[in-house]
Amino acid sequence: MFVHIFANRLRCLLRDRETMFWTFMFPLALALFFYMSLSNVGKGEAFQEIDVAVVNDSWYQENQFFRTALEEASRGDDRLFNLTLATGEEARKLLDDGKIKGYIIAGDPPQLIVNESGIYQSIIKSFLDNYTQTFRAVEKVLENDPRIYQEVFDSLGNRKNYVKEAPAAGGKPDNLVYYFYTLIAMACMYGSFFGMREATDIQADITPLAARINIAPVHKLKAFLSSTCAALLIHLSEMMILLAFIRYVLNIDFGPRAGYVLLTTVIGSITGVFFGAFVSAVVKKSEGIKVGILIGVTMIGSCLAGMMYIDMKYIILSKNLPFLYWTNPVNLLSDAFYCLYYFDNLNRYALNIGALSCITVLFCALTYLFIRRRKYASL
Amino acid sequence: MVVKVSNLVKRYGDLIALDHLSFSIKEGEIFGLLGPNGSGKTTAINCILALLKYDKGEIEVFGEPMTPESYHIKQDIGIVMQNVAVYNELTVYENIDYFCGLYIKDKALKKKYVEEAIEFVDLGEYRNFRPKKLSGGLLRRLNIACGIAHKPKLIILDEPTVAVDPQSRNRILEGIKELNSNGATVIYTSHYMEEVEQICSRIMIIDKGKAIATGTKEELKAMISLGEKITVESYDVSEQQLARLRELPNIVSVEYNEPLIVIKSSKGKNNLENVLEFIKKENIQFGKIYSELPTLNDVFLEITGKELRD
Ligand SMILES: Nc1ncnc2c1ncn2[C@@H]1O[C@H](COP(=O)(O)OP(=O)(O)OP(=O)(O)O)[C@@H](O)[C@H]1O
Ligand SMILES: [Mg+2]
Repeated sequence: MFVHIFANRLRCLLRDRETMFWTFMFPLALALFFYMSLSNVGKGEAFQEIDVAVVNDSWYQENQFFRTALEEASRGDDRLFNLTLATGEEARKLLDDGKIKGYIIAGDPPQLIVNESGIYQSIIKSFLDNYTQTFRAVEKVLENDPRIYQEVFDSLGNRKNYVKEAPAAGGKPDNLVYYFYTLIAMACMYGSFFGMREATDIQADITPLAARINIAPVHKLKAFLSSTCAALLIHLSEMMILLAFIRYVLNIDFGPRAGYVLLTTVIGSITGVFFGAFVSAVVKKSEGIKVGILIGVTMIGSCLAGMMYIDMKYIILSKNLPFLYWTNPVNLLSDAFYCLYYFDNLNRYALNIGALSCITVLFCALTYLFIRRRKYASL
Repeated sequence: MVVKVSNLVKRYGDLIALDHLSFSIKEGEIFGLLGPNGSGKTTAINCILALLKYDKGEIEVFGEPMTPESYHIKQDIGIVMQNVAVYNELTVYENIDYFCGLYIKDKALKKKYVEEAIEFVDLGEYRNFRPKKLSGGLLRRLNIACGIAHKPKLIILDEPTVAVDPQSRNRILEGIKELNSNGATVIYTSHYMEEVEQICSRIMIIDKGKAIATGTKEELKAMISLGEKITVESYDVSEQQLARLRELPNIVSVEYNEPLIVIKSSKGKNNLENVLEFIKKENIQFGKIYSELPTLNDVFLEITGKELRD
């Protein structure tokens, strides 16, 4: 019976165009899109200095602390900036001519003028923010102990490592890879389309087909599990193809821990499938609304995990929204991949996977509670 | 008893869909469940199949209480549901094969049964079609094939012939009779009285969840006073003439909706003859004139005061 249901389910799902689109074609297309639009950014980010100007006014001259910080960051081979001193008018002209990415007006806090926003501009901005933060933090200490000056300059100079840090796990430094992690996590969650179908097709009060299966001499949960196995198999295969595509066609390096990457993908796929089953079992609304919820939750989750803007996840943490951090499967998954890539120590990875497993078990349990019903009050 | 339903009550909120419904079905019967839309036929079927919760009553199938886990009972039931239930991604053949395979493990036997089912509903030339490409009637026929392929002992058909054209319908009805003569007990639900009259050995008429009459079609027709219905087409008849017509022996009612005079008589002899004589005597001009024996619709009409079909 298992084989009969499983085999037929494979056939059904493989021929279901809508589900195949969302779970297979869409992530592949998005991967290609990411690759084309982000690959330049990734390279520039890691190896090119940024042309900046600073307005050489009296504030700049008098504020030795700021001036030193900026000069430190513009010195040496692995410098962050190519710094130009200019008057306000000259700086404006340089910017308009595209000779610099932006210019800085010293002050408290320092101002950044740019014409467009992009990854370079973000780096200048985060340098300035860092400066302001560090400055504020040590200002008072400085009043008491001037010897600390040098340490602070060093620390600011080291801020370069926010773009040039070398991952301890041995992957090459590359923020680009994180976008692909969120993409893989999102694709895992799109497994929910399969889960939704499975849960829908077993609840007699949702479809006539499910009612028909409920009448057949087959144990309901066995039927559900047999066909869910088919769904999982298809989704896992799709995920493997996606991983292979990103790794070997787009040439994105996932770092040295391939086994763990696969394991994480498998867990993510199970989470995705049961997320869909859970939504279908619990939400008593039309299929359109359920699909809306699946896409909506996955998209918002991806967004919060930093798919569109990497710093998003840190903003969530710093704003003290740990709930959003730990309950967002997309975030947990992409952070798990991130840990595999960057950290030697797997503690944080284990935490992510632990939280993810809890969520998955919860989805399974709730799905079970809702679909195990033997009879229905109304069909 | 193949099916025994006693005092079944099912409520949807305030609506009482089944009101102390009781009936039993013996082996070898074709039991017709006849009732207008919303009378509770499907609800009764779903209760028998242990799909629906009900408020009161007992249901036994093959002499045992029916529960959702009665797999050995379900094994012997074939069901053709009112709402078509097939997989859109599977072809005609694959659909029948799938449903048959839920009951039949032996591969060779399954294959044989599937072929027979395709033959039964005459879908041979459509075997590789997906349901989306079938017309409404063809789809119904696929639905039937999926329900009966495994040769069950009890076949339940819930309005299986909606949208099926007359030839195919006849073929299906004959097929059901054949399944029955090969030993299957059949429950047949419909609001087409002609179908029910044609194949059912016993009929239960239900209305608003209540059984209002049960018996063979002869028994049902014997229950009512109406013996004969005579219809006369005429454009020229006066109120006085109609009044005199009502005076004739055995005449129960006379209605005139120009151009049709509908004369209902109770059981008795020479009713048509009397009417003809009257028309001749009164010199009433008439076109067609015909007489009908009562139908199940008349049974329904007399018991409930309304038409079975609107
Ligand atoms: N899920 C439901 N919720 C509320 N009321 C329902 C539900 N299903 C059926 N009913 C009501 O129960 C009554 C019986 O419905 P049922 O479907 O059994 O009728 P039926 O005899 O099969 O009619 P039809 O010939 O149209 O198929 C109707 O009044 C219907 O409106
Ligand atoms: Mg019905």
